[in-house]
Amino acid sequence: MADMVNVLIDGKPIAVEKGTLVIEAARRLGIMVPHFCYHPKLTYDANCRMCLVEIEKIPKLQTSCSTVCTEGMVVRTNTPVVNEAHQSVLEFILANHPLDCPICDQGGRCDLQDFSHQYTPTTSVFSDTKRVYQKEFFSPLIEKEMNRCVSCLRCVRYCDQVMDVKALGNAGRSTMTEIVHFAGHQLDCEFCGGCVQICPVGAITSRLSMYEFRPWMMKRADSTCGYCGDGCALILQTRDQKVVEVMSAYGEGRNNGDLCARGFFGYQYATHQDRLMSPLNRQADGQLHPATWDEVLPALAERLTQLKLAHGAEAIGGIISARCTNEDLYVFQKFMRLTIGSNHLDSTPRYGHVNAARAMRRVQGTNRWTVSYEDLVQADVLLLIGTQVTAANPIVGLKVKEAVKKRGATLLTLETLTPSIDTTSNITNLSARHLTIQVGRHGAAVQGLVKAVFDENLVDAGLSARASELVSRVREAATALPYPSDVDEATLRAMVKTFAGARRGVILIGQDLLQAAGGYEATVNLMDFLLLIGKLNQPGWGLAPLTEENNEQGAVEMGAMAEYLPGPTDITDPAARSLLAGVWKEEPPVSKGLRLLEMIEAARSGRLKALIVIGENPVRSLPASLKAAEALEKLELLVVQELFLTETAKLANVVLPACSYAEKNGTFTNSEGSVQKVRQGLDPLGDSRPDWEILSSLSVLMGYPLEYGDAKEILKEIRAAIPGYRILGATPEPARVDSRVVERYVSGEFADDLATRYRATPSPKPNGHAWHLRVGQTLFHSGAMSTKAKGLLEIQKEGKLIMNPADAERLGLTEGDRVRLRSTAGEASVPVTMLGRIPAGTLFYPESFREDLASLLAVTPDPVTGVPYGKLATVTVEKVGSGGEK
Amino acid sequence: MNKYEPILLKNMVQPGYTGSLADYERAGGYQALRKALGKIAPADIIEVVKKSGLRGRGGAGFPTGVKWSFIPKDHQGPRYLICNADESEPGTFKDRQLMERDPHQMIEGMILAAYAISTHVAYIYIRGEFVLGAKILENALAEAYRASYLGPNILGSGFALDIYMHRGAGAYICGEETALLESMEGKRGLPRTKPPFPATHGLFQQPTVVNNVETLANVPHIVNRGPEWFASIGRPPKSTGTRIFCLSGHVTRPGNYEVPMGITFREMIYEIAGGMRGDKPLKAFIPGGASAAFLTPEHLDVKMDFDSLAQAGSMLGSGGVTVMEEGTCMVWAAENLLQFFNHESCGKCTPCREGSLWLLQILRRIEHGRGRQEDLDLLLRLCGNIAGRTVCAFGDAEIAPITSTLQHFRDEYEAHIQGQRCPFRPQPAAELITVGH
Amino acid sequence: MLIEKHKDKITEILARYPEKRAALLPLLWLAQEEFGHVSEGAMKEIAGVLDLTPPQVYETVTFYTMLNRQPIGKFHIQVCRSLMCALVGTEQLLGWIHARLGIKPGQTTPDGLFTLSQVECLASCGTGPMMQVNDDYFEQLTQEKLNRILDDLKREGKSPLATGPFMFPVPAGRHREA
Repeated sequence: MADMVNVLIDGKPIAVEKGTLVIEAARRLGIMVPHFCYHPKLTYDANCRMCLVEIEKIPKLQTSCSTVCTEGMVVRTNTPVVNEAHQSVLEFILANHPLDCPICDQGGRCDLQDFSHQYTPTTSVFSDTKRVYQKEFFSPLIEKEMNRCVSCLRCVRYCDQVMDVKALGNAGRSTMTEIVHFAGHQLDCEFCGGCVQICPVGAITSRLSMYEFRPWMMKRADSTCGYCGDGCALILQTRDQKVVEVMSAYGEGRNNGDLCARGFFGYQYATHQDRLMSPLNRQADGQLHPATWDEVLPALAERLTQLKLAHGAEAIGGIISARCTNEDLYVFQKFMRLTIGSNHLDSTPRYGHVNAARAMRRVQGTNRWTVSYEDLVQADVLLLIGTQVTAANPIVGLKVKEAVKKRGATLLTLETLTPSIDTTSNITNLSARHLTIQVGRHGAAVQGLVKAVFDENLVDAGLSARASELVSRVREAATALPYPSDVDEATLRAMVKTFAGARRGVILIGQDLLQAAGGYEATVNLMDFLLLIGKLNQPGWGLAPLTEENNEQGAVEMGAMAEYLPGPTDITDPAARSLLAGVWKEEPPVSKGLRLLEMIEAARSGRLKALIVIGENPVRSLPASLKAAEALEKLELLVVQELFLTETAKLANVVLPACSYAEKNGTFTNSEGSVQKVRQGLDPLGDSRPDWEILSSLSVLMGYPLEYGDAKEILKEIRAAIPGYRILGATPEPARVDSRVVERYVSGEFADDLATRYRATPSPKPNGHAWHLRVGQTLFHSGAMSTKAKGLLEIQKEGKLIMNPADAERLGLTEGDRVRLRSTAGEASVPVTMLGRIPAGTLFYPESFREDLASLLAVTPDPVTGVPYGKLATVTVEKVGSGGEK
Repeated sequence: MNKYEPILLKNMVQPGYTGSLADYERAGGYQALRKALGKIAPADIIEVVKKSGLRGRGGAGFPTGVKWSFIPKDHQGPRYLICNADESEPGTFKDRQLMERDPHQMIEGMILAAYAISTHVAYIYIRGEFVLGAKILENALAEAYRASYLGPNILGSGFALDIYMHRGAGAYICGEETALLESMEGKRGLPRTKPPFPATHGLFQQPTVVNNVETLANVPHIVNRGPEWFASIGRPPKSTGTRIFCLSGHVTRPGNYEVPMGITFREMIYEIAGGMRGDKPLKAFIPGGASAAFLTPEHLDVKMDFDSLAQAGSMLGSGGVTVMEEGTCMVWAAENLLQFFNHESCGKCTPCREGSLWLLQILRRIEHGRGRQEDLDLLLRLCGNIAGRTVCAFGDAEIAPITSTLQHFRDEYEAHIQGQRCPFRPQPAAELITVGH
Repeated sequence: MLIEKHKDKITEILARYPEKRAALLPLLWLAQEEFGHVSEGAMKEIAGVLDLTPPQVYETVTFYTMLNRQPIGKFHIQVCRSLMCALVGTEQLLGWIHARLGIKPGQTTPDGLFTLSQVECLASCGTGPMMQVNDDYFEQLTQEKLNRILDDLKREGKSPLATGPFMFPVPAGRHREA
């Protein structure tokens, strides 16, 4: 129970925690003290002088944003003296403020307008010359109009304190101070839009929607972002069938109002001109032609029915993207299992997340986090392994930054990054201890972590007592391995000691670990790690895998994978089958389903005759060496349900236009397990329809009733199908570890693959010619979807090979030069650029432009989980052209 | 003539005195240090300084011993002492003389102060323009290190102290205590809100004492000759000791004069500084640097001490006494000072950032013959809106020239406005300001 | 470039402070002394040494008037314009400079030798009108002295009329020592 103090504000009493600011105490009483520079996310600056209030016994007016409540304090916020003070501050600001309201995008939601309206007279006595700034072009995305600035410095402070980017500065002195980037250069930063959102006036605005609207002209839909697995609350502002603007509100959602470049500037993909507006049918001339639903859907239903009769349900498969809503995914797997009658269905968590889901279900009995975002912020120590968090999951990245910067948490990182400061955030800059892990070596590092538990004598005494068999066998296996030669042993051991000795700790893992060979084993080993140090079932502790796409957790839980039923539960689990049968009035098929790569191979061999692909683009996602296009062309029927005419869609017999997240209702489940609403902001574009609705209609036409009136009905059924499933609201309750499952694991199941999990991986031999290429996520893109977003293309319009500056210098490369990369699979030629955070010997290429490297990569499926590992390669590099040459 | 016995300026006026360590020791320097180090407890040194009544000589006049005693005794981490050598208050040039002519006096003061507050790292924040001063201090510090007056084991007492030079780069506001701390930390010199105070959260958020050059220069003398001796000089109990006043403007003999506090301005200006330079009589004078309110001939018998000046509506300030003869335009003088303040405003808080320009624009218009009747009340109202509402005292400083000249010379302003020209300096109207600097 | 040439000095400077950023002003002075001004490249280098971003260095540089972001004339004439000097003849001094060099404040002579600026109080109020040229003070100026100083500078790069160590008034019976 915190110490409380009692204060009186405008005659109203309130008790607040010691240390509460007067302005905050007033807010809780419903008294809004006017202010510009104060913001709850930032430390106070008290520079605007707007929040002055009267405090008894103190002669001068005090800024309420910097004054802490003390016992018995008497505050007055509404006396003539105070109001006159507010007025005088506004008068000073307005003296130099331009009369821009008619053309200023902030008009109608501007703090200066609102306060002026409240406090100032209607005429001004200023008759001198206003100070004027030279207008400079700040950025294609962000507009800076310094004449309007009130120097509250919220933008600079946000960029520093919350984002840890420090791309904005407050330059000059006196009346002409201005917000700048660096020496007149254009803004180069993360483009999170934080400065735009936090500016109280129209000094910093978005250029994407300049001059297009007034706030009251727009319709509002409170939805959830469709890019990454962080699950940020978004407010879609729409007008005339366009998303004009996206915002997020302070205090709302799991992201508390913070966004990233994708969320804030990437919304225009939904209304891109290339959107499919009508179904397409391949005619006799071999071309795809527009058609109507009536022309296409009944014929499709008949074709599917025919194929099913001729070749059996086992000849039909389906692949769906985890960008779809839970409702879409649920209806998809029900359609495949009941209407079609096949278990050949898969979704994009197959590309990596299923490794985590399976490992966690195996050991702790749930695929879900046992921690929440709040636990991340409250943690004493955070261990990040292969997350690339500030690129892939930037809002989780903000939680990590907050934990470290505001609460002094210890950050331990094992990442394919080196600490290096530039004007985008690099989480390893905040690390207390950091180890640069070479591409593909995270699994070996995890083995080292487990080994260190034994070498440092950190095994939990309770576990040793009750699970001596597990402890001794894992000890034997782990200590038999040497520490990986490419990491510093002392640091690794120190990390383990720090982690195990903390009060609360969380391990975060991401794509670099999950999408590389051995990702499944590495995750199970991390569960061993938590188990061994006695933290597997402790409050505030857990393993938190981060998902790349917005609804990967949802796809797993909706059972949109061959081996899972909704839950997720195993397809063979009798209790689960029985429950589902109760809801579906029919049992799902029990045969083993083909997974992603297996379906491609089955198409190639002719075993699979038809494939329904929803939202996913295997031709692009899988490397050229797999020859996915060839395989798909062998199908008798390829149906693609999509937003755009993708590479896969171009091969289809029938293309069906689907709705983006902005045009439908439903839910997404983020990495954390928070089920959040998706609300329609636009009417479906053209003839497009929500994915679930298309499947529903198709099913009816095929004679199988799968009708739902709206998304809510589907959600109702989902709740019936998954016991305990519920909308978790603003603060989710984390899942619990299932001790029966742990018991089973500990008692013997752990041994099933012990040798495989702790098998030695050969240390990389230094080889001057071999470079490690990693294709992965950048901050500014997400899949191919983002390459249709005008705003994001302004920041990053093409792929470039990113390398370490010292490496580049050694090879005689400068910005823009072209290089040829050669791997065992093929070759590719790309331009280069340099970034200090790329570790020596590694190369990075953004996966949203991966088609440039299509011929370079090869795929190896995971023997247990079927994950197609295909994002890493060893290559040689040679210069083939100078910057400027094509 | 200055008939008063100098204390701080004593060594340097001796023929042949170079300020070297040898000269300083010969003149009795570093005896106070030998007397105190390891023999008198640090807490007792603080008491001695408290008893002497020594007050800050930079401008604020805060009791020095009291300031030292605010350092938390039980603080575990480092503490810092900073010598504020950022002398930038227009009208002031005493610290420069002290540093360039007798650097060891100030250094000995620093070592004693550091010993008193138990700090082992001290910095001298010296304004960037004082290149010669910085060089002289660097040499003096090197001499002190060689003679074991600085370093890991001073005079074998076990007390360790390092003093480092830190050059500013042209910002008046960095003479303000908290802005100085920000500047020392490598940031823009923007003042901090208080509380917390530097005594508990100063440099790098550690307890810190910031003292003026002249303040520190007094410390060896106080330790040597005792607090009672010091307190007997000047105007006890509130204004003890001597003060170096800097005379400038229209006097015959401008320069630094060390006198006991409490003599009158009349004596200072007419007897010591040789009176007005020419035929024109005194019209106005600024008693304590550009931040102090203007005074008139009726204030000549005000005593030069803290309380008397406060009562007269001005302040002792930095000790810069600027004398203006008849024929000096008060509006022009106010405009000149506002140009200074607008240029040196840090830009952090709204009233000063926007207000200093507005005030300057109005003054400039009046001076250049475009004043309006309502301008005078507007000036006073704006000054009232700035007073007490800013983050630091700069706001109160910048309005002093305006409020005081309006109080004492309102008719002059009126004449500018009625006649749409400056009666003293006929000139074509300059461009009105459109930008700050 | 800066780091290579002054590695030892930079190490020594960094050792004076418990936090890296505090070394910013000393390093900026090092850059300006080396190159005559603080270039973008120097700012980036210094940012790297101190674990800062270039905008953080830039915003600090722009706060301080003595740090030049552009190259200026070989001799930077800085005339004090504060009230105390203005009372005793700053306008005249500017006139003498204009007569001799043809430039006004803010301008540089065509041969690139002299840049003229007006600056705030240089703590020389009893000895005005005065100016600072690069590192040296020149006080109690008359037209004759000024012309001599400008000639000295042009010819030899230095002038013996530079004043200091400062003591004013000079005690009776002593001539001004250098």
